[in-house]
Amino acid sequence: MTSEPVRVLAHRGAAGILRSELTRRGFLATALAAGGAVLFTACAPGQAGTAAQANGGPLEDRLSIYTWSDYDEPELLSAFTKKKGPKIVVDAFNSNEELIAKLVAARGTSGYDIVVPSGLFVMPMAENGLLEKLNLDLIPNFATMNPNFIHRSFDPDNAYSICKAWGTTGFVYDKRVINRELTTWADFIDAAQNEASGKTSVLDDPAPLCGIYHWSHGVDWNTTRKKDLDACEKFLVTQLAPHISIFDSAPGGQVIPQASAALVQSYSGDARLGMDESDDPERWHWVLGAPATELWMDNWAIAKGAPHPEAAHAFIDYIIAPDIQVAQVDYIGYDTGVQGTQQKAEEAELDRLDMVYFSDEQVKTMHEQKFTSAQERIVEIWNKVKVAAGA
Amino acid sequence: MSRWLLPVWSTLVFVFLFLPIIVIIVYSFNVGRLLVSWDHFGFDSFAAIVTKPAIRDAVLVSVRTGLLAAVIATVLGTLAGIAMARNPGKWVVWFLGMLLLISVTPEIVDAVALLPWMVFLGQDAGIGIFNDGTVRLIIGQSLFSIAIVSYIVRARLVGLDASLEEASADLYAPPFRTFVKVTLPLAMPAVLAGFLLSFTLGLDNTIVSAFVQVSGTTPWPVYVLSALRSGLRPEIAAVSTIMLVLTLASLALVALVLKRAGDSATDIARTMAGG
Amino acid sequence: MPFALALPAWVWLAVFFVVPIGVVVWYSFGYKPSIFSTNSNDRLSFDRYVEALSPTFFNTFQNTFWVGVIGTLLCLIIGAPVAYWIAVKAAPSKRGMLLALVMVPFWTNFLVRTIGWQVILAPEGWLSGALQFIGVIPGPLDILNSRGAVLLGVVYNYLPLMILPLYVAFDRVSGPLREASKDLGANSLVTFLRVTVPIAQPGIIAGVLLVYIPLMGDYITATVLGGAKGNMVGQMVASQFQTAQNWALGSAMAVLLIITIAVSIGVAALLLWLVTMPLRRRYALRLGEGS
Repeated sequence: MTSEPVRVLAHRGAAGILRSELTRRGFLATALAAGGAVLFTACAPGQAGTAAQANGGPLEDRLSIYTWSDYDEPELLSAFTKKKGPKIVVDAFNSNEELIAKLVAARGTSGYDIVVPSGLFVMPMAENGLLEKLNLDLIPNFATMNPNFIHRSFDPDNAYSICKAWGTTGFVYDKRVINRELTTWADFIDAAQNEASGKTSVLDDPAPLCGIYHWSHGVDWNTTRKKDLDACEKFLVTQLAPHISIFDSAPGGQVIPQASAALVQSYSGDARLGMDESDDPERWHWVLGAPATELWMDNWAIAKGAPHPEAAHAFIDYIIAPDIQVAQVDYIGYDTGVQGTQQKAEEAELDRLDMVYFSDEQVKTMHEQKFTSAQERIVEIWNKVKVAAGA
Repeated sequence: MSRWLLPVWSTLVFVFLFLPIIVIIVYSFNVGRLLVSWDHFGFDSFAAIVTKPAIRDAVLVSVRTGLLAAVIATVLGTLAGIAMARNPGKWVVWFLGMLLLISVTPEIVDAVALLPWMVFLGQDAGIGIFNDGTVRLIIGQSLFSIAIVSYIVRARLVGLDASLEEASADLYAPPFRTFVKVTLPLAMPAVLAGFLLSFTLGLDNTIVSAFVQVSGTTPWPVYVLSALRSGLRPEIAAVSTIMLVLTLASLALVALVLKRAGDSATDIARTMAGG
Repeated sequence: MPFALALPAWVWLAVFFVVPIGVVVWYSFGYKPSIFSTNSNDRLSFDRYVEALSPTFFNTFQNTFWVGVIGTLLCLIIGAPVAYWIAVKAAPSKRGMLLALVMVPFWTNFLVRTIGWQVILAPEGWLSGALQFIGVIPGPLDILNSRGAVLLGVVYNYLPLMILPLYVAFDRVSGPLREASKDLGANSLVTFLRVTVPIAQPGIIAGVLLVYIPLMGDYITATVLGGAKGNMVGQMVASQFQTAQNWALGSAMAVLLIITIAVSIGVAALLLWLVTMPLRRRYALRLGEGS
C-alpha cells in the first residue's frame, strides 16, 4: 500500500467501509484501464494482409505508388484522379535495394499498391512473395505496347510486370568548372579526381556505382569473380570515394538545377529533366556512358498486400494508353515502350530527344544487369564507398 | 568595454538562431519551382496547403496523430507523475530509470527497433490494429511525450506538499474524489503544459514516424523528408511557416497557463527544457 | 494501490520501448542469411560487432565522436555567455521575452530549420553571392555537403538545449551571493569561476548531456547538410535497415552507438572528477578551523 498512511478521522464504523473503498476504487481504476486496452486491441480495424485479387470491381478511393523520383508527369496523375476517382499518393526510393528492403521489412503492411522495380529484380521479388500477379484482363492497353518491350526474359509472360520505361546511365558536367571535353567513364573518374574533386555526385544505387569501375576497366559488370569485385571495391573506396560529395539517384530534381555539383552521374532522362530546369541549360553537357554502360528497364508492378488492387490495375491501364505517352515522355525523358510514341515525339519536336531515343550503335554499348550471386557484395561495396566518402 | 561584450555576443547568437527560420518564412513567399531559387514574390505557395491533396493530408495526419498521441501521453504520464510524486517507493527508481533511458536513446535506435516490432505484432501475432498507420504513428510519438509529461507532473506535485490531499481525506472524501477534486487541479497547470508540449513534439516527430509510417498516412515531417530527395518546392516553406505559427500558439498557451499558475520565468524555462 | 496509477504507463512503455530495444539487442547477435531476408538468429555470435568495428565503419564512429565532442564544446562556449547574460545581467522584466526568443527556434520543426540552413549555404544563394562580393571568399560558397556544414548545423540545432539548462543553473546563483563575493575583494572573473560555476555545475552538466547525447545519434542534420561527407552513425544504422536490409549489422551498430555514448560520458565524468579533485581539495571549506 502507501508508504505514508492516509490518516482518517472517522467514526469507527466508517473505518472499515473507507478501507474497502480505498482498495475497491484502485482496483476499478486498474481494471478499467486494462479493459480499455483489451477492447482497443480487439476492435482492430483489420487493415492489410488480405491479398485481394482484382477482378474488375469498383475502384477504391486511393492509390499509393512507390517509385523512382520524378518519374511521372504530375498533370497525368491529377488527370487520372479527375477521370477515375482514386486520389494518388507518391513516395520515392533511391534504388531497387531500398524498394526491396522496404517491402521485406513491412511484409505486406507497407500500404503501397504500385511499385516500380527494375527488370532483373522482378522474378526474385515475385519468388519471395513481394509482388502480386497482374490481371491482364483489366489492362486492355497492354496490346498497344511495343513488342520489343514485352515478354522480356526477366518476365516472359508479363505475369508480374509491364514495361514502364527503359533508359541508360551517363553523366553531365558543368562546362563552367570543367573546360575540357569528357567522353568516357575514365574521363569521369579523372575529372572527379581533379577539377571536380569534392564537387562530384554519383548515383545512390549500388549497381551503377560499381559500374563506374567495371565499365571504365573493360570488366563485364555482371561479373561474380571475387578478384573483380575486390578490385572494384579497392578502386572505388580509395580512388573515387574521397572526391564524392553527394549520393543522389535523382539529381535532376535539385543537384543539377542548383549546381550543387559540377560532375553528376545520372540516368539519361533525369539528366535531361535537370538540364531543362536549370537556369542556364547550356552550362551542362551530357555524356552517354562509354565505352559501356547499362540498359535498364523499369516496370509497373503491384505489391503483395496492396490495399487498392482495382485502382492499381486501372491506373496501369491508364498510364500506358497511347494518347498520353508524348506528355509522359516529354516529362520523364524516357521511352515508355508504347508503339508509335517516338514518331509522335519527333513530330512534336520535344527537346533533347537524343537523350531519349538512342541509335542502334549506342544501344549495342548498353548492357542489362543480371541478378547474380554478387548482389550482396555489390550492396556491401556501395555501403563501404559511402562510408569512405564520409571520412 | 566588457559591459557590452555580453549583450553584443548574445545579440549575435540570437541572430544566428533566427536566421534559418526567417529565411524559411521569407522563402515561403517565393513563387517558383525550387525552394532555393528565388523566382518572384507571391502568396501562391500558401495556397498549396489547401489545393495540394498530398500536403493537405500530410498536415491533417500530423495534427490528428499529434493530438491523439498527446492525449494518450498526457493521461498515462499524468497518472505516472502523480503516482511518483505521492507514492514514492523503490519502484520509482526503476520507473525514472526507464524514463531516463527513453530520453537518452537516440531517435534512430527507437525507429529501427519499433518498425520490426510493429510488423511482428501486426503480421505474425495477428493483432491487426498495428498495421494501421495512425496507430503506429501515435505509438511512435507517444514514447518520449510520456516521459516528458511524467517529469513535469511529478516535478510540480513534489513541490507541493500533500497536506491538501490529507485534509481532503480527513473530511471523508473517497480517494477517487480526492484525486479528481484536489490532486488533479493541483497538477493541472503541469498537465496542460505537458499536453501542449506533447502535441508540439508530436508535430515535430520525424525519424520514428519515417520508419513506422504506412503509405497513405504520412505525417508532415516525413513528407518533407521525402521531398528533400526530389527537390524542395516553395510550398514546403509556406506550410512550414503555417505549422510554425501553430506551434508558437501552443507554446504561448503553455507559457500563459504556467504563468497563471504562478511559475516564474525560470520555472517555465525548466519545464520547456523537458525538466 | 497508488502504484497502479503508474501501471498503464509502465505497460505501454514496456511494450513499445523496452521490448523493441531488447529485440534489437537480440538481433545484433544474428546474421543475414540471404538477400531477401532481413535477419536470422539461428546462429548467435559476436560477428556483427566485429564487422561493425572493422576499419571502414570504425571511421564513422570516430567521425561521429569528433562531431559530438566538438559540437558540444562549441554549444557550451557559444551558449554559456548568452545564458549568463539572460540570467544575471539582463533586466528581470525582459527575461521572459528573451527566453521565449531562445525557445522559438527550439520548437520549430527540426527538419525545416535544417533545410533553412541548406538554403542559406547554397553555393548559388544570396549569402554566397554577398560573401563573394565583399571578397571574403574567392568562389562560390563551398561549405555545403561537408563536415563543416554538419558541425554548423548541429551546433545550431542543439544550442537552445544548452542555453536553457545553463540559464536555469545560473539563475540559481543568487545576486546577493555574487555581491558578497565582490565585497570580499574578488573581481568578476574570479567570482564567476569560484562562485557561479560551482553552484551552476549540475546545470552545466545537464546542458552538456542534453546536447551530447542526441547529437551523437543525429541523423537529420547529417543527411540534409552533410551529403556524402556527413556520414554519422545514425545514418549508417538507418541505411542498414533501409537499403542494405542487414538488420543484424544495423542492430549491432545501434547497440555500439549506445555503448559509445555511455562509455564516453563515463570517461568524461571520471576525468572531470580527477581534474577537479585538486581544486576541490584546495578550496574545500573547513569549518571550525578558523579561516
